[in-house]
Amino acid sequence: MLLVPAVVHDTFLLRVFTEAVMWIGLAVTFDVLAGYTGYLNFGHSAFFGIGAYITAILMVRAGWHFAPAAALGGAAAGLGALIAGFPTLRLRGAYFAIATWALARAIQQGVLMMDITGGPDGMRLPALLSPRFFYYVMLGVVGITFFVYWFLLERAPFGLKLKAVREDEQGAKALGLNPTKLKIQAFILSAIPTGIIGGVFAYWVTFIDPASTLGDLVSDQALVMVVFGGMGTLIGPVIGAVMIFAFKTLFWAYLSDYEVLYLIILGAVIAGSVVFLPDGVLGVLPQPQRRKEARNHA
Amino acid sequence: MPEPILVVDNVTKNFGGLTAVNEVSFQVRPKEIMGLIGPNGAGKTTLFNVISGYYTPSRGKVLFQGKDISGKTPYALAGRGIGRTFQAVKPFPGLSVLENVIIASFLRHPKRARAEEHAWKILEFTELTDRAHQSAASLTLAGRKRLEIGKALALEPTFLLLDEVVAGLNPTEVDRTIELILKLRDQGITILIVEHIMRVIMRISDRLVVLNFGQKIAEGPPAEVANDPGVVEAYLGGGEA
Repeated sequence: MLLVPAVVHDTFLLRVFTEAVMWIGLAVTFDVLAGYTGYLNFGHSAFFGIGAYITAILMVRAGWHFAPAAALGGAAAGLGALIAGFPTLRLRGAYFAIATWALARAIQQGVLMMDITGGPDGMRLPALLSPRFFYYVMLGVVGITFFVYWFLLERAPFGLKLKAVREDEQGAKALGLNPTKLKIQAFILSAIPTGIIGGVFAYWVTFIDPASTLGDLVSDQALVMVVFGGMGTLIGPVIGAVMIFAFKTLFWAYLSDYEVLYLIILGAVIAGSVVFLPDGVLGVLPQPQRRKEARNHA
Repeated sequence: MPEPILVVDNVTKNFGGLTAVNEVSFQVRPKEIMGLIGPNGAGKTTLFNVISGYYTPSRGKVLFQGKDISGKTPYALAGRGIGRTFQAVKPFPGLSVLENVIIASFLRHPKRARAEEHAWKILEFTELTDRAHQSAASLTLAGRKRLEIGKALALEPTFLLLDEVVAGLNPTEVDRTIELILKLRDQGITILIVEHIMRVIMRISDRLVVLNFGQKIAEGPPAEVANDPGVVEAYLGGGEA
C-alpha cells in the first residue's frame, strides 16, 4: 500500500485511495465498540466531526501547525468519549444507539450555532495541494491505529475482556472484570483515532461544514461496512470498507444517473448480509489459524 | 474453633414491598462445605447475590475474612477471593470454551500467555480439554455447568459459591460433579452450595442452612436438619391448612 502513489499518478485515483484508507479507519474504529464490545455507536460521526473542527479551529484561528492540531483533535474526541461514556454506556442495545445518535445531533446543532465554527457556512482551511502527502498521512494514521488495535484487541488481554462484557456483562463481573471501566476505555480507544482521522480529513478537503463531518453519514457508512465485512474482528471491517467503498466509487463513476438505485442496492446488500452472512464476508472465508490451534491441542 | 471465613450477619434484602431475605444470620468455617437449601422462592439465590456483591443488603452486613464486604462490587469481591457460579449459567456463548476460562484467568494472571497456560490446567481439572476450541454455546448443559465451575475456579478463589451446579444433570454427570466439588474442598476451598437435589446436598455438606420464605428455619449437620420438624414441614407441607 506504500507504493500506491508511485504507481498511481492520477490525482483523482489517489484521492479515491486516500478516501478508501479513511473509510477503513472509520470502520475499524467503529468496530471496537460495535463488534468487540457490543455497542452500536450511532454517534461515531461526532468523534470525526470534533476532530475535524478542533483541527480547523486551531489551524485557522490560532495558527497552529497541522500535526499538533490534529493530535489535539484526537484528544478532544477521546475526552468527548470519556464524558459521553458515563451516562450512555449504562444503556443497552437500541437505547445506547438512540442516546449516542441524539448526542451527535446535539453537537451538530451546537456547531451550527457557534461563531467560532462558522456555523452553517462551515470553515475553510489553508489549502495544501499535495495528494501524496495526504495519502501517506491517512495511511500512517490508519496503519498505526490498526497496529495498536491489533496489539490491544488480538494480543493483549483487553480484547477478550471486551468480548466478555459484550457476551454477558453480569457474568463478566463475577470474573473480576469492571464492565463500566472497560466500556469507557473501549469508547476512548474508538474515539481518539476517529478524531485524528477527522482532522486529516479537514485539512485534506480544505472545507468542512456540519453536514459533511457531523452528519449521520460517517456512522451509517461505518456501520454498513462493519456489518458487511464481519463484526468483532479487525480484518472484517477492512474487507467491508474496501468492498462497500469500491462499490460506491464504481457506482458513482459509471451509474451516477441512478443515484436512487445506489441506496436501494446498498440496502438490499445489507439486509441480505445480515440474514445470510451473520458473520459478514469474513464468516464465509476459512479460518486456518483456529483450526491449526485445535489440531495442536487435540 | 477457627475464625469463620464468612459471616452473614442479620441480612435482610427487600425488593419494594417484598422481603426476599429476612434477618438471616449464619457463619461458614474455613474449608467446610456449607449447604444452603429451601423450597423454591425461599431466597437462596437472593442471598447468593448479596454475598457475591450483586445486591446490597437492605439491612445487616456480610463479613468475609473479618472484613465488611456489604455493598462491594462483584468484581472487587472476585479479587478478594470470592468465586461464584450462576444458576442460569452464564458462559460467554460466542467465545470458545478456552477463551471463557482465559478471561477468568486474567484476574490472577494478567499476562495473556500465563493466563492461557492456567486455563489449560483448569480445563484438564474440569475435564473440558477436548472441548477447548468449541464455542461455549455448543456445550451440553452438563458441559456448561462444568465450564461455569471452571471459570469460578480460574479465579483461584478461597471461597466458592455454587448455585445449583448439579440440577438438571443425569446420574453419571451428578456423580462426576460431586467428585469435582469434593476435590475442591480437599484443595482447601470453602464452599457454600445451593442445591435442590437432597441426595446430593446431604452427601457432600458438612453443615446445612435451611431457608423458607426468606427466613432461616434450621442450621446444623445434615442428619440433624433432615429430622427437624420445621424443615420437614417446609418441604412436605404442614398438617394445618
